[in-house]
Amino acid sequence: MISAELKATILAAINLDDWEIDDDTLASEVPGWDSLNHVSVIAAVEERFGVLFSIPDVVALRKIGDLQRLLDSKLQGKGT
Amino acid sequence: MSHIQNDICTTMWNRWLRNAERQPTQDAIIHWRVDGAPFRWTFAALMDAAEICAANLMENGIERGEVCALILRHHPWFYPLYLGCVRIGVIPAILAYPNPRLHPDKFRQGLKGMSERSGLDWILTERDLEPMIQELVEGKASTIKGVHYPLEWDSQHAPGTETITKLNMMHDRISSSDPLLLQHSSGTTGLQKPVLLSHVAVQEHIDRYAAALGLDNRDKIASWLPLYHDMGLIAAFHLPLALGIPSVQISPFEWVMAPSILLDAVTKERATISWLPNFALDMMADKIRDEDLKDIQLDSWKRIINCSEPVRYESHQKFQRRLHPFGLSPSSLSTCYAMAETTFAVTQSRPGAPPPVLAVRRTELSRGSVAITTDERETKFCVSSGMPISGCEVRIVDDEGHDLPEGRVGEFAIRSASMFDGYRNYPEKTAEVLRDGWYYSGDLGFKHGADYFVVGRKKDIIIVAGNNIYPEDVESAIGAVRGVIPGRVVAFGQERPEAGTEQLCVIAETEITDSIGQKHLKMDILKAGMAIDVTIARVYLVAPRFLIKSSAGKLSRSANKEKVPM
Repeated sequence: MISAELKATILAAINLDDWEIDDDTLASEVPGWDSLNHVSVIAAVEERFGVLFSIPDVVALRKIGDLQRLLDSKLQGKGT
Repeated sequence: MSHIQNDICTTMWNRWLRNAERQPTQDAIIHWRVDGAPFRWTFAALMDAAEICAANLMENGIERGEVCALILRHHPWFYPLYLGCVRIGVIPAILAYPNPRLHPDKFRQGLKGMSERSGLDWILTERDLEPMIQELVEGKASTIKGVHYPLEWDSQHAPGTETITKLNMMHDRISSSDPLLLQHSSGTTGLQKPVLLSHVAVQEHIDRYAAALGLDNRDKIASWLPLYHDMGLIAAFHLPLALGIPSVQISPFEWVMAPSILLDAVTKERATISWLPNFALDMMADKIRDEDLKDIQLDSWKRIINCSEPVRYESHQKFQRRLHPFGLSPSSLSTCYAMAETTFAVTQSRPGAPPPVLAVRRTELSRGSVAITTDERETKFCVSSGMPISGCEVRIVDDEGHDLPEGRVGEFAIRSASMFDGYRNYPEKTAEVLRDGWYYSGDLGFKHGADYFVVGRKKDIIIVAGNNIYPEDVESAIGAVRGVIPGRVVAFGQERPEAGTEQLCVIAETEITDSIGQKHLKMDILKAGMAIDVTIARVYLVAPRFLIKSSAGKLSRSANKEKVPM
């Protein structure tokens, strides 16, 4: 499940009021989240949550659920 | 300096074979991977693998002169498959793998249009696309004979003597003037214009362009460019293979997600040359994190060639500032003006020196003349796209095709030794642009001294991140959205200086006036754009009869653009 915080960060990064986002949503299914904006969305998530994703991790992302899981694992790592 | 030995061979296959015989263990293609070591094809191994692919193509009934669409993602076996097509005279046409957001009907429509125009015979793709494609192949009017999934073919077993004899016989029937490849002049799916290029035309062009660039056999290309684009296909793929120098091929899909991959590849492989559209300079300057630059060393990168989008001075400045601390030479940025219709390059800036920049008065330029200025408030910096390469002639002409003097803005008309003969099965489009041996490009610019400067376009094409978008396609898609008054839509490009490219905007008339209804309509318009694989950055909903027409009676994009707040 996509957290409200992650969803809000994504929508703010692409300047979108609202959009239904779930685990299986692809970035390309969200208006405004295109290849030009992808780096900005990832950077916004990194900044908001104070984490840093590696390049292989970013490239391996397929669905927004993958991003949530990657974020969760980073946050868990920070907490321990 | 070690010069490259250029000599035109009867076929491109023979030229690759010659390179493989001269330097069998030299890297030909370094297939980049972000999650591990790259896959390295030497010239000899690549040719052996291509022979296997050629045998598979032949055994599947694919014949000389037939057009094969290659729709595959970044994969090490893509290259031998392409070479295998050339081996037996099959004409490869690389198409973009569909973005998930592209509506399947739109994808099929593009393929259908291509099959009607280009005479598409076969589709070589991945199993994932089977559900989308099969319906098209089974359609009554389809010219497509079948679909194959080459990544599932046996790639282990070298063909036997009998098969090799057959392959040789097929190859022997190819002449130098036969088509080597089919590339599409950039355009959105419905308007792709197919260009056939022969074995000799591509080789001659590569040799002329290599001379303009001053390449030698120590050069190494690094590229993330998609191979369905002429810049990726001719400059970053065919050119190194024909010259016998290595190229690093990076997935475009991965590069947009992490632009530092290119810098990493240049650093690790000591690459010397890359071609990039303008937006890529901005993206790398702005979006790469400091931590991804810590091991970057760019002193080998002697030429970064800005091409395929209007060259922006500010993008060059920004890129230099960001990467100079990592060894980027001030003279490394250069420029090129190119198009599929002339195989690739028309002009190229001088090797080893930054392209000349002119500070001109913006208002004068918009009126069609060039006035040098020192008044910064009025200045537009124009970057030279260089001088014509050998075999190319350029004229700047007015609307009637008469030559304009230096310093006047007009259309680029080009005559080139590597010119196309016309769009395949598209005589009406050919007649529009090809007259008396001159190609009328639709690009606007001027000459100053020996240099040519591109400043705009005659037609309303919108270029977003190197992709040409025809406003007609967008207007047609948005005009079909419920709530939009049919036929009352204009699409146009808006400069996005901070990104070094344009963004797509739409004005649509509607009778919906309540804010919730308008919000839903805007969302539907964005979705309709996504279904044709374009991102609409701004939607302006306006009342009926807001849009004005030009004197020709059509909705005016430029006049209506002026009517909305930017």
